[in-house]
Amino acid sequence: MDTYILGLAVHPSSAWIVDKRLEEMVFDTAKAALESARISRQELDHVTIATCDELDGRSISSMLLSAPAGAYLKDEIKTTDSGLTGLCLEALRIESGRFHLGLLSSWNKSSKAPFEDVMRMRCEPFYTRDVGLNASIADGFFAQGIERAYGIGETDVNSAVTARYAQASKNERGMRAAVPSAEAFAASPYVSVPLREIQKAPITDGGVSMVFCSGKWLNDHPDQRPLARLSGLAWLIENYQLGQERLSKLRGFKETVRRAVAMSGLQDLSQLDLIELDSQTGFHDVAYRRALNPPITCQVSPSGGPFAQNPYFCTGLVHAAEAVLQVSGRAGAVQVKGAKRAAAHGCYGFAQQGNAIAIFEGV
Amino acid sequence: MPNHRVAVIGVGETVFKTKIDDKTYVELAQDAAKSALDDAGLTPADIDAIVFSMAPTQFMGVNDVDKWAVDSVWASGKPFMRVHTGGATGGSALHAGYAHIASGMYRTVLVVGADRVTETRDAQHILNLIWDPFYEQDFALNTVTMTALSTQRYMHKYGTTEEQYARVVVRSRKNALKNPYAHLKGNITVEDVMNSPRMSWPYKLFDICPRSAGAAALVLANQEVTKERCSRPAFINGIGGTTSTVFMGDRVGPYADAELSDEAEFVSAGTAAYADAAITNPIKQIQVVELYDPFSSVQFPQLESLGFCKRGEAQNLSDEGAFDIGALLSVNPSGGTLCSNPIGVTGLVRVADAALQVMGKAGEGQVAGVQNALATAIGGSVQFVNCTILGADYV
Repeated sequence: MDTYILGLAVHPSSAWIVDKRLEEMVFDTAKAALESARISRQELDHVTIATCDELDGRSISSMLLSAPAGAYLKDEIKTTDSGLTGLCLEALRIESGRFHLGLLSSWNKSSKAPFEDVMRMRCEPFYTRDVGLNASIADGFFAQGIERAYGIGETDVNSAVTARYAQASKNERGMRAAVPSAEAFAASPYVSVPLREIQKAPITDGGVSMVFCSGKWLNDHPDQRPLARLSGLAWLIENYQLGQERLSKLRGFKETVRRAVAMSGLQDLSQLDLIELDSQTGFHDVAYRRALNPPITCQVSPSGGPFAQNPYFCTGLVHAAEAVLQVSGRAGAVQVKGAKRAAAHGCYGFAQQGNAIAIFEGV
Repeated sequence: MPNHRVAVIGVGETVFKTKIDDKTYVELAQDAAKSALDDAGLTPADIDAIVFSMAPTQFMGVNDVDKWAVDSVWASGKPFMRVHTGGATGGSALHAGYAHIASGMYRTVLVVGADRVTETRDAQHILNLIWDPFYEQDFALNTVTMTALSTQRYMHKYGTTEEQYARVVVRSRKNALKNPYAHLKGNITVEDVMNSPRMSWPYKLFDICPRSAGAAALVLANQEVTKERCSRPAFINGIGGTTSTVFMGDRVGPYADAELSDEAEFVSAGTAAYADAAITNPIKQIQVVELYDPFSSVQFPQLESLGFCKRGEAQNLSDEGAFDIGALLSVNPSGGTLCSNPIGVTGLVRVADAALQVMGKAGEGQVAGVQNALATAIGGSVQFVNCTILGADYV
């Protein structure tokens, strides 16, 4: 691929950002990304936005937010699946040859959204809505499915959660929450059997902006040095219905990984230095690692993944930012020594209906 | 120029009407998808990726309704994304699909969507909620009152009369008689429009589009597949889009970058699309336009901003019949948005109807000798606009 990341910014994470309106969060992040890339907004030839009306609380949220996201008088398109799907659209626009310098922004002020109500309203009205399905219950179904499929026990899950919190505690861009004690795991209530509250990554507020450019643009601007090259990209979706096959086979995840790795010219994930996984629960974390053949041997979620910060809609794009920081040697306290190739994973839809993977290389 | 050329090789539309009670949302989307695939001579297995076109899901009452439709449009196991830029969604979705093919990553893409605007009792209540909750929602702004304000400004600037807008409605309803999918159609008179109930000055009921249910789909392909499968495709030769500020007050007065009543965002969007498509004299080179016109007043400023005539001239050309089918420029031979408005796919329907003209498949509404057609879409507070140029030949 001939797409490069020129700069990025991650909004400081918080459980509840109270001192800024959403527009201010978006503006601050977009501005910081442009400054990171040392370009002005006027130079952009397009903008891509990834956001969710329902979580933003407006029927067309980009009406108010496109300008803070840098899109005023620019060619802008919005996708609504996830932050990492926004990266996919942005990369397509650059790869099309029609655009050469773009700004991608995604955000989620989760604290202002009735999260589970929004999720419940994602149910179609004939079968699943009256059952009361929401994100937690879908995750519980998923946990049941992969528990059987991969022989996952509570000890495995709690170990995974502990490991992620331990990594997250070092990440200055995350919440740096304390690692839970054994007593805390035991005392945590079930939200949807077998899933306990403590095994879920807490949802936070946050936002990400990234500046992308084409190889042609780089050739025309020899003074600019990119942070990373996007070398592989894949995204795909699975069935809407939560059948046993869909919940336990992880077909979408595995196929997305296969396609992204192949596009990067690699054999498997072992050739990566790290992958940032979108593990919304400890069950996901264990299942993702066991699902692949060969299993993941590179470092998993050195940032702490969603247990570091989890602005739900754009968590996958946070992972992309973390991966780019890793391959450019800027990941700070969570830097993986000598990291040259890193992958970012993001999910969307009930029980990971959609998966996206982006692979970055240092330049 | 794109890295890989892109063409429309299949078009599918459903009938548009107030309610389609014998189909679910996802079945509607499937009907359009199947029609487009049949038109292209492809099966679902031939499609590499899907772009879903859907605007606010509040109309439907199912958040992220596109995910429900995944199985129905045969997207499972494939790349899939939803695009949403308000009323401009269909045009933006088409541009996203174009990027899929132009990137060289995919050979075929299905761009599909559906809407059921009447699932909500009051679409204009939903459209009030698009506005800022602190300042604007309480002013009873919705898409009718919003565009009525800009129309008043346009009338003040150019002396346009209500009768001139009424003639646009008469032409559109007449054109729609030849479109089997159109929601509103018929031979009506200027008097009929003038006598319809007042809604928001200068609008009467007939100046305003219907709330429609329906679906549309397009199959896009790269050069290789196009050559194999389609003898008369519509090549996507130009795209352009511009996003403006939500604040209408910032778009009036001497310091405005793009004048609200002129829909001046179309100047930059059109310039970009024309540059792609080597269009230097639109009125000479383009034979058909399918404009996004949910209100009778939306055509004139678009035509002027897109360079078909000078500012303030469109109303007189309209009166003279210059925009009738087969005249100087065939404007909305399908009947346009004034006759069918399934909001989440309306922009896609504009592209579909323009593509049908280029492909010679527009039936009774076919305009003779179409080499280039232009489709537009508008969303938000007339702040998201986009243009697509379709041609009989690659540029």
